[in-house]
Amino acid sequence: MTPNVYTATSTTLKWLLGTAWLLPLAGFVIEIFGGYWGGRKTKTAAWIAVGCIATSFVLSLSALLVWRGATAEIREKQATALAEHDAAHGHGHGGEHGHGEHAHAASDHAHGAADHSHAHTNHVHTDHADFNPLRTTFTGEFYRLARFGSVVVSMDYYIDGLTVLMFTMVTLIATCIHVFATGYMAEELTEHYEDHQVHLSGGRHFHRPGRFYRFFAFLSLFCFAMLGLVLAGNVFQVFIFWELVGVCSFFLIGFYVERKSASTAANKAFIMNRVGDFGFLIGLMVVLTYFGTFQFANTSPDEIGSPGLFQMVRDTHGHMVTEGDGREKVVLLQSGGNTPLHSQDGKQRVIPYWLLIVAGLGVFAGCVGKSAQFPLQTWLPDAMEGPTPVSALVHSATMVAAGVYLVGRFYPMFTPEVLLTIAYVGAITAFIGATIAIVVTDIKRVLAYSTISQLGYMMLALGVGGWMAGLFHLITHAFFKSLMFLCSGSVIYGCHHEQDMTKMGGLRKKMPITAYTMLIGVFAIAGYGLPGLPINFSGFYSKDAIIASALTYVSLNPQHFLLFYIPVVTAGITAFYMFRMWFMTFAGTPRDHHVDEHAHESPLPMVAPLCLLAFLAWFCAFRGEDGGLAHQILSSEPTHVRDGLEHGGILGLSLPSHHQIHEKHATAGWVALFAAGLGSLISYLFYCRRTLDAGTIGRQFWVIRDFLIEKWRFDELYDVMFTRPVHVIGAWCQGFDKRVLDGLIHLASHLTLQTAKFDRAVDERLVDRIVNICGEVTYATGRSLKGIQTGRLRQYVMFIALGVVSLFVLVFAFLPRS
Amino acid sequence: MDSVGLNHYLFVGAVLFVCGIVCMATKRNAIGVLMGVELVLNGANINFVALSRYTPLGLDGQVSSMFVIVLAAAEAAVALAIALNFYNNHLSIDVDRADDLRG
Amino acid sequence: MSVLVFAIFALAACGGALAVVLSQNVVRMAFWLIISLSSVAGLFFLLNADFVGATQLLIYVGGTVVLLIFGVMLTAQGPYVNLKTNPAEVVISLAIGGVVFAMLVAAFSGVNWSANSERLTAEFGTATLQTPGYNQQGEGSTVRRIGGALSGLRTESLRDGRAIERPGYLLPFEIVSVHLLVVLVGASYLARAKRRSGGSEPGAGPTV
Repeated sequence: MTPNVYTATSTTLKWLLGTAWLLPLAGFVIEIFGGYWGGRKTKTAAWIAVGCIATSFVLSLSALLVWRGATAEIREKQATALAEHDAAHGHGHGGEHGHGEHAHAASDHAHGAADHSHAHTNHVHTDHADFNPLRTTFTGEFYRLARFGSVVVSMDYYIDGLTVLMFTMVTLIATCIHVFATGYMAEELTEHYEDHQVHLSGGRHFHRPGRFYRFFAFLSLFCFAMLGLVLAGNVFQVFIFWELVGVCSFFLIGFYVERKSASTAANKAFIMNRVGDFGFLIGLMVVLTYFGTFQFANTSPDEIGSPGLFQMVRDTHGHMVTEGDGREKVVLLQSGGNTPLHSQDGKQRVIPYWLLIVAGLGVFAGCVGKSAQFPLQTWLPDAMEGPTPVSALVHSATMVAAGVYLVGRFYPMFTPEVLLTIAYVGAITAFIGATIAIVVTDIKRVLAYSTISQLGYMMLALGVGGWMAGLFHLITHAFFKSLMFLCSGSVIYGCHHEQDMTKMGGLRKKMPITAYTMLIGVFAIAGYGLPGLPINFSGFYSKDAIIASALTYVSLNPQHFLLFYIPVVTAGITAFYMFRMWFMTFAGTPRDHHVDEHAHESPLPMVAPLCLLAFLAWFCAFRGEDGGLAHQILSSEPTHVRDGLEHGGILGLSLPSHHQIHEKHATAGWVALFAAGLGSLISYLFYCRRTLDAGTIGRQFWVIRDFLIEKWRFDELYDVMFTRPVHVIGAWCQGFDKRVLDGLIHLASHLTLQTAKFDRAVDERLVDRIVNICGEVTYATGRSLKGIQTGRLRQYVMFIALGVVSLFVLVFAFLPRS
Repeated sequence: MDSVGLNHYLFVGAVLFVCGIVCMATKRNAIGVLMGVELVLNGANINFVALSRYTPLGLDGQVSSMFVIVLAAAEAAVALAIALNFYNNHLSIDVDRADDLRG
Repeated sequence: MSVLVFAIFALAACGGALAVVLSQNVVRMAFWLIISLSSVAGLFFLLNADFVGATQLLIYVGGTVVLLIFGVMLTAQGPYVNLKTNPAEVVISLAIGGVVFAMLVAAFSGVNWSANSERLTAEFGTATLQTPGYNQQGEGSTVRRIGGALSGLRTESLRDGRAIERPGYLLPFEIVSVHLLVVLVGASYLARAKRRSGGSEPGAGPTV
C-alpha cells in the first residue's frame, strides 16, 4: 500500500468510524435534555436513539466495505503466500524449527530459550512480513489531550479488520435491541409508573414518573462507550471507555433503582469491576514504566520512530526477542522494524520477562472483572435486575464483550504463562457457569449463566492459542445470545413480567415467532451442525474451532488435559440446559393457567429484531472457517499465532499452530457434536418426554443440587473471605472510635464546655458588671442633671453670668499673684 | 479727673455689658433678648477700641471691633430669622415657651 | 472740652442702656437702644477710631436696629407686646448683674495700665513703636490703615519715623466674608415664608 492510499484510507475510516462512534453520544445529549424538557409520554427519545445507532451501523458497514476495498490486495497476497507456505511446510513446521538462520538485526544477541529460536526458515522471510496484521491496520490520532514529557495522552484510533467487524456487530445488535426496547419499555411512557416490585408500607406499590427517555439516553451512552473502547488506539483510552462502560452498566442495571435488589446489583457489578480494574491499573503502570507509551501500534508509513506496544514487544515476525534465563530473563524491545530499540543513552531497552507477565495478568484481571470470569463472575447473574434489553446489550455486544475483545486486542503482549492462566480461568468459568445454569429456574438467569459459560469458552480459546476461535465465538455468541435475550424479553413481556420458568410451558402456541426464533438460538448455542455442510448454525463453527484449539493444545501439553475435557463436558451441559430452558418454556402443557391466559405474542417492533437476529444467528458464520466472517477476523490475527510456539516462556509451554489445529479439527467437531447431542437427548428425556423425573434425580443428588442452586456458594465464600473480615475490622474500628476517639472528643468537648462556662461567668460577673456600672452611673448622672436643663434661655444667661463670676472669684482667690 | 482715661471708657463698657446681661436675663420678649446681646457686644467693642487707643497694641483693637460689628450684624440677622420662625410656629415671641429641649 | 463731650456721650450710652433694661415696651426699648448705640459711636469718634465709629453708626444704628424694629413690627401683635417678667427673676438677675458689674470694675481698676504697657512693649519687642494715640501724621484718619490691614498690608510707624510692614488681616477678612454669605443664605432660608401662610410675612432677609 502506498503512503497516499494509506493516508486516504486512514482518513476515510477515521471519519466514518469516528462519526459512528460519536453519534450515540450526540443522541445521549439530545435525549437527556430533550427528554427532560419534552415530557414523558412521547417516544421521540427512542426514535432519536434508534436513528443514531442505525446511522452508526450504516457508517460502520461502509467503513467495513472501505476497509475491505483498501486492503483487498494485501489480503490476497497474504492468502497466496499462505497457500505457498502451507505447501512448502507440508505438515506445518513440525520438524523444521531450530535450524533457521535469523535474518533480523537482533540475531547477534545471545538469545535465550524458546521464544525465538524455533521460528521459521529462510524461504518464508520475505513473505512473512505480509502476514503481519499491522499492514492492514490504520492508526492515528483524533485529538491530543495532554502531553507530559514523553508521555502523550491522546484519543487515538486503531482500525483493523477486527475493529470494523466489531463496529458492525455492535451497532447492528444495538440497533436491534434499541428497536426491541421501543416496544419493551413502552409502559414507562407515563407520568405515573407503578413499580409492582417495590412494596411500600400499607401494601401499596411505589409510584414514580416514567423514565423512558432516560433509558434510551443511557443506552446511547452505553453504545458510545463500547464503540469508543473498540476504536481506541491506546490502552489508556481503552481504560477510559472501559470505565465509562462500567458506569453505563451501573446506571442501566440500577435502572429500577427503587428496587433494593436492583440497586444492590448495580453496586455489586460496579464494585466487582473495580476489583478487576485495579489489576488493569497495575498493568497500565507496568506498561507505562517500561514502554513509555500506551499506543498499540504506529502503522503510518510516513512516520519513523515512536513504535507502539505491539511493535516494541515483538518483531515483524511476531517473536519476542529474549535474553537471559530464569529470573534474569528480559525481553528486548524492538523499534518497529527488526532493529532493537535504544534508549537515549544508547542502551538497549528491555523489560523483565516477569514484569511482562505481571502486565499481562494485570490487564487480564480487568478483563476478568468486565467479562465476568472466575472469580469475579458473581455480578453478572445479579445484573439481570436491569430491563431485559439492557441484559441483551450487556451480554452480547457491549459490556462483557469488552473483556474478551481487550484480551484479543492485547494478545501480542501476553506471554505463554499469561495465556495459560487465561485458559484455566476460562475453563473454570465455563464449567461453573454451565453447571449453575442447570438448576436455575429464572429464564433470564439461565441465559446469564450461559453467558458466563460462553465467555469462559472464549477466554479458554484465547488462552490455548485459538485467537481466531475465541473472537469468532465472541461474534457468533453476540448474535445468538442477544437473540435469546430478546426472546426471553419477549416472553417476559408477554407473560407480564413473569420470569419463573416453572410457571411457563406450552407458550409455543401463544407466541410462535418468539418460540421458534428462540429455538434457532438454542440450536446455535448448542452448536448443532454437520461437519462439511456450509449452512450450519453459527455456534457450531465457533465452538468447533474452540474445541479444536483446546484439543491441539492438550495434545501439545498433555499435563493440561483438563483444558480439553472441561470444554467438552461443558458443551454437553450447555446443550442440556439450553434445551431444558426451551422445553420448560415453550413445550409441553401450561403449568400456570394465570400466566398462560394472559400470554400473547409481542408487537412488531419487538418481533422484527428477533427475526433479523435469528437469521444472523443461524447464518452469520456461513461456510465456517472458510467463510467471510472468519477470514475477516483472521486478517487481524497477530503474526505469532499462525505458527504457534514450541516450548516457549519459562514453563516451556507450546502453543498450537494453525496447521496443528487444522489436523485435529475433524475429531474435535465430532466430539463436540456428540457432547451436544448427548446433552440435548438427556434434556429431551427429562423435560419433554418426562421419561426421567428431574425432581427425583434432584432429590437423590440433593447435595450437588443445593450446591449448584447456591451458585457454588461464591457469594457465601466472598462473604466469609471479604465481607465478614471487613465487618470485623469495621467493628474494631467502631470500638476504637467509640472508646478512644469518642472519649478524646468528649473530653475535649467537656473541657471546652467548662472553659466556656468559666468564660461566661467571668463575662457575666466581671465584664458585664463593669459595663453595667459604667452605664448605670452615666444614666444616673444624666438623669440627675436633667433637671438643670430647663430649656429656659434666660436662666442659661444667668448661669453664664454666675459662671463668669465664680470663675473670676476662683481665679482671684487661688491664682498666686506674681 | 483732668482728662478722660482708659478706666472711664472701661467703666462705660462695663455698664453696657452688665445692662446687656440683665436685659438678656429679664426680658421675655425674644427681640428684647437680642437687644441685650447687642448691648453686651457694644460694651465689649468699647473696651476694644479704648484699649486700642491707650495701649501699644495699635490698630488690632479697632480691627477686632470691626469684626465684632460685622458678626453682630450677621448674628442679629440669623437670630431675627430664628425669632420669626419661632413666632410662625408658636404664634408667640416668648422665649420661655421655647423649652422643647428641656431635660 | 473733650471731658465734657465724653461725659455727655458716656451718660447717654449708660442711660440708654439702663433705659433699655428698664423699659417694658419693645418699641421703646428699640428707641433707647438707638440712643445708646449712637452714643457709643460718639465715644468711638472720641477715641480717634473714626472708621469704627462710622461703621457703628451705619451698621448698628442704620442696619441692625432697623432690623430689630422690623422684627418688633412683625411680631408685636396682641397680648405679647408686653410680657411681664417674674419679679423674683428680676431681683435675681439684678443681683447677678450687680455682682458682675462690681467684679468688672474691680478687675479693670486694679490694673496699672501704664506698667502693663511697658511690659507689653518689652515682651513683644515693639519698644520702638510710636506712642499710640493721636498723631499728627495719622490725622485721626484710620480708614486707610484699616483698609490696608484688612487687605493684608499693615504698616506700623516706628518712633524714628520709619515704617515697617506686619502681617495683616486678610485671612480673617475672607473668613468673615464667607461667613456673611453663609449667614445670608441661612437667614433667608430660616425666615422664608412657610406653607402655613397664616403669617404671610415676606422673608425678612438680612440687609447687611
